[in-house]
Amino acid sequence: MKMMSRKEALDQLQAEAADSTRLFEKPLTQWRLALRRFRGRKSGMIGLGIVVFLILVAIFAPLLAPYGPTEILIGKEDVSRYGPPCIHLLGCDEASPQHILGLDGNVRDEFSRVIYGSRVSLTLGFFTVTLALVIGASIGAVAGYLGGWFDNIAMRFMDVILGFPSLLLAIAIVAVLGPGLRNALIAIAIVTIPQYARVTRAQVLGLKEADYVSASRALGASPMHILLRRVLPNALTPLVVLATLGVATAILEAAGLSFLGLGAQPPTAEWGSMLASERNQVFTAPHLVFFPGLAIMLTVLGFNLMGDGLRDALDPTLNR
Amino acid sequence: MKRHLSLFSLLLALALIAAACGGSTTDTTAAASGEETTTTVAASPDTTQPAEPSPDFMGAVLDAGGCDYGGKVNTITAVDELTVQFELCSPDPAFLAKLAFGVFGIQPSEHLEATGGAPLDNPIGTGPYALQEWVRGDSVIFSRNDAYYGDLAPSQTAVLRWATESAGRLLELQSLQVDGITFPGTEDLATIEADPNLVLLDKPEPNIFYMGFTNTFAPWDDANVRKAVALGIDRQRIIDTFYPAGSETASHFTPCSVENGCEGDSWYDFDVDAAKALLAEAGLADGFSTKIYYRDVTRGYLPTPGDVAADIQDQLKTNLNIDAEVVVVESGEFIQTSSAGGYDGIHLLGWTGDYPHVTNFLDFHFAASNAQFGDGYPEIYEPLEAASKLASAAEAAPLYADANNAIKELVPMVPISHSAASYAAQASVEGAYAPPWGDVQFSLWNNGKDTLVFMQGNEPISLYCADETDGESLRACGQIIEGLYSYTPDGSVQPQLATECVANDELTSWTCNLRSGVVFHDGSAFDANDVVATFTAGLDAASPLHSGNSGVFEYYDYLWGLINVEE
Repeated sequence: MKMMSRKEALDQLQAEAADSTRLFEKPLTQWRLALRRFRGRKSGMIGLGIVVFLILVAIFAPLLAPYGPTEILIGKEDVSRYGPPCIHLLGCDEASPQHILGLDGNVRDEFSRVIYGSRVSLTLGFFTVTLALVIGASIGAVAGYLGGWFDNIAMRFMDVILGFPSLLLAIAIVAVLGPGLRNALIAIAIVTIPQYARVTRAQVLGLKEADYVSASRALGASPMHILLRRVLPNALTPLVVLATLGVATAILEAAGLSFLGLGAQPPTAEWGSMLASERNQVFTAPHLVFFPGLAIMLTVLGFNLMGDGLRDALDPTLNR
Repeated sequence: MKRHLSLFSLLLALALIAAACGGSTTDTTAAASGEETTTTVAASPDTTQPAEPSPDFMGAVLDAGGCDYGGKVNTITAVDELTVQFELCSPDPAFLAKLAFGVFGIQPSEHLEATGGAPLDNPIGTGPYALQEWVRGDSVIFSRNDAYYGDLAPSQTAVLRWATESAGRLLELQSLQVDGITFPGTEDLATIEADPNLVLLDKPEPNIFYMGFTNTFAPWDDANVRKAVALGIDRQRIIDTFYPAGSETASHFTPCSVENGCEGDSWYDFDVDAAKALLAEAGLADGFSTKIYYRDVTRGYLPTPGDVAADIQDQLKTNLNIDAEVVVVESGEFIQTSSAGGYDGIHLLGWTGDYPHVTNFLDFHFAASNAQFGDGYPEIYEPLEAASKLASAAEAAPLYADANNAIKELVPMVPISHSAASYAAQASVEGAYAPPWGDVQFSLWNNGKDTLVFMQGNEPISLYCADETDGESLRACGQIIEGLYSYTPDGSVQPQLATECVANDELTSWTCNLRSGVVFHDGSAFDANDVVATFTAGLDAASPLHSGNSGVFEYYDYLWGLINVEE
């Protein structure tokens, strides 16, 4: 048996002491674990990067855009409709005003409109999802917790809404409410409410029989208290994923409605309506349809990647 | 040998029988297989000579029972098989031009009765093409009328297709899928001109694009406000930016190519200071909020509706501090609401001439009965009513000058542009044209093939054009149905199913002699009763034939006035 020196014995004792203190460290929460897992997923991080980038672009649009989104340059600059991109760094004549993405049919700077378009699209996406989430989760939670006739009526109503193709139903709702961004937001929110309601109800049905909920009930907690404090917080995980992916869907549907003339109205800089107004220039000035299309694609891609990453990160069955 | 002789005898006998029967009157010669087919009438009967009237003929009559109903027509009488008499309530110098309008094409009385006055998808006419099939959502297919009394169409089949987007139509043209298209996009004109395989066809259609105000809504009830907008909009900027070369800023509501259209003073010049002064006078020095209503439908007079609306919105804000919200309205609803004077803001609309007379522009828009601009302006409609009853254009000129000056003073609308419009075709098509009035006759286009394909913007609404107003329907009907008169490719009026219509000195009685020997596509003979039945179906609201598609018969109503309308 090898004898330890005094120094070695002290090092070993210190190491054992350090290990024992770890036993008393605060354990990682579900969210911290999820964050750790999310960081490990490249695609999710890329999606997050795109989304953060777009949010920053939207916030700082007035600083980034060289012109106003509706500013018509007729008489202000020597430019014409459908002017091609002019970038001085790439050899465009210095005497010509710089328009990175060219000019649209109303002689407006396309770059500025694409930048400002991010404000409209992101705002619309977030508000739509928030509205649908709040209403859908409330209906689903109450229906799942109470059950009985309310559950039956509410869920059958949700089934009816789900029975229609979402974009078609949104078009019908906007046709009734009238075209416009606000009405498009309401329409898209209405058609997505059932998704949140069904997911929330399913979660609540599983959680309301959990031991800690029964314990809370035995202690005399009110149904509202149980629902808000015990059940819903534990039902949030799938909703977060659904909401993230829902933002992408909402932006895409809003762009679709605007393309059809039912969403954003001129001269609002919205990617879908920009695509629509320049659709006839697909051969003569393709940049006018390419860049708004690219913006929509990037945004949807960003939210979808982020949503997928979140789903993987928040799903305990995918623990590694 | 005996068998050969028998066969020869049989063939000889057959040849003699065929010769005795007369064979076909047409002679079709193919110069080269699949390349060029020329069809000529070998022995066309002279159908312009009046035939002997049949003593058994029972002539039909459309009788309005007097002129108190306010319309133009008193009676229409089938005097004999080939003579129709129109008795009018007032002189109508535009009578022949109206008759040439495609809406008044003649259909067989029996067919109108058989379809309950609604041959919406099975029209029967006398035209160079007959309807073969309407494939809903795809195309209308026409087959050549080989019994046509005039020159036969070069192509056996004509196909009318549609695509909403001008870029789509151009793509079809460039890829040789179609022989001609309507209204290429303004931005595509240079591409077409630069392509040696394509040709741009100038369509000198008289039209007007205007901004309308309804004077029953504030602040448009104040002439100063309307005039301020008239002065504060840079119309030349709109023309320069959004309209094709050849378009012009409107000096009057009616294009100057229409006789008496430009009598009176020219429109205001752009003057922002004067406009602001007028707004201040109206108590709106700080501007106000309003709406700009328009429909997102491309027309010759408005090639890029959205862009023009956005530019007007910008000019109103920049020049006059007027905040205008742009509102896009569905086309049908837009026409209905604007016609009823239902818009509280500015509405952007236009008009393409139907027939070459100033009444087609001014009387329709500014008549006392038209609610589009709100309460009628007597200063405008009274001289118009007086002028419409004068046979002499020279005598009517001062009255049209008065009306135009009143329009300028009262500003029910701001005339913006008279647009140059165009069609496009394959350069190889012989006889391709785009007429100022009426529309393309496919029978005059020769692509050297069995099938001619033409593409327009939209699908026809129905093929009973007596009750339609859209150009897409009229273009389809025009291949099948003919009227008593028609337009030549250069826009002048020519007899078609009539050989002539002769008026009395007062222009209140018109006697039309009809072409003899004409047969409809169903083989029935054309006669005067078909004319009376067609006009009865369009005009007489009490007739069982007055059914149609919507039942409105807008052009019959506006150009002649409906009879027996219930209050």
